[in-house]
Amino acid sequence: MPPLPDPKGVFLNVPYDEEFSSLYVAYIVGLCQLGLVPHLASEITGGDRRLDRIFQLIQSCRYSIHDLSRVELNVAPSATPRFNMPLELGMTITWQILNPDQHTWFVWESEPYRLQRSASDLNGTDPCIHDGTVDGVLRELRSAFHRDKMPSVPQMLTVYGLVNSALSSIFVANGTRNHYDRSVFKELCRLSLSLTTHFFPPA
Amino acid sequence: MLRPVAYITAPWPTQEEVEKLYPISKVRKRALQALVDEFKAKLSNREEAPVTSIEPEKRRKRASAA
Repeated sequence: MPPLPDPKGVFLNVPYDEEFSSLYVAYIVGLCQLGLVPHLASEITGGDRRLDRIFQLIQSCRYSIHDLSRVELNVAPSATPRFNMPLELGMTITWQILNPDQHTWFVWESEPYRLQRSASDLNGTDPCIHDGTVDGVLRELRSAFHRDKMPSVPQMLTVYGLVNSALSSIFVANGTRNHYDRSVFKELCRLSLSLTTHFFPPA
Repeated sequence: MLRPVAYITAPWPTQEEVEKLYPISKVRKRALQALVDEFKAKLSNREEAPVTSIEPEKRRKRASAA
């Protein structure tokens, strides 16, 4: 049996593309503002089979967010559908069915009712609809995750603005412009978590 | 339709946890800390702003009441 999952751990299953990057930053900021700890497949290093490592990461997290809002074909030639996110959602659902007390998964979409067409087997599951906006992601995070002393959406938006303004210096320091790069991800998480304590100083 | 809701009872992440989860170099740690300090100063100023803007209003109301 794998060890018990981190009760604050959230596996983020999101598309790694430029157009999604503002929502990706919103997920990181929002989760950190709620005292949760985001994890991303790009954190994974080492020579093992990638899928095995992703499954280990899912198992190590108490929660997962599967954003299926960009299910359309990617624009690069030759256009291919994005199967990674549904694949990882399928793995997660199996894990949760076998271990119902150890994992909770959430499906996110930008449009209401589209999930019923793109993945009709999920009918009966109500997705979080973020409308493709930063505000929507933060609003839905607050609706999905409850805890004492939650920040308001405007407070979260303020922190989002600050973290977003630091992105260019983080890119320069890490020699990349890739939001999903492991180093950039780590720094975004650290920055977001550091700003959390501003609103809720540790006792 | 069914949508799960998670009630988080786990404590807020500590600095030690953050260090362990997201390790970075000392140089970058210092750079990020400088950003955090700058942002916290901005946030503090932002929080104080409504108080200063309310005070003149209160004074005006008190004056007109008198």
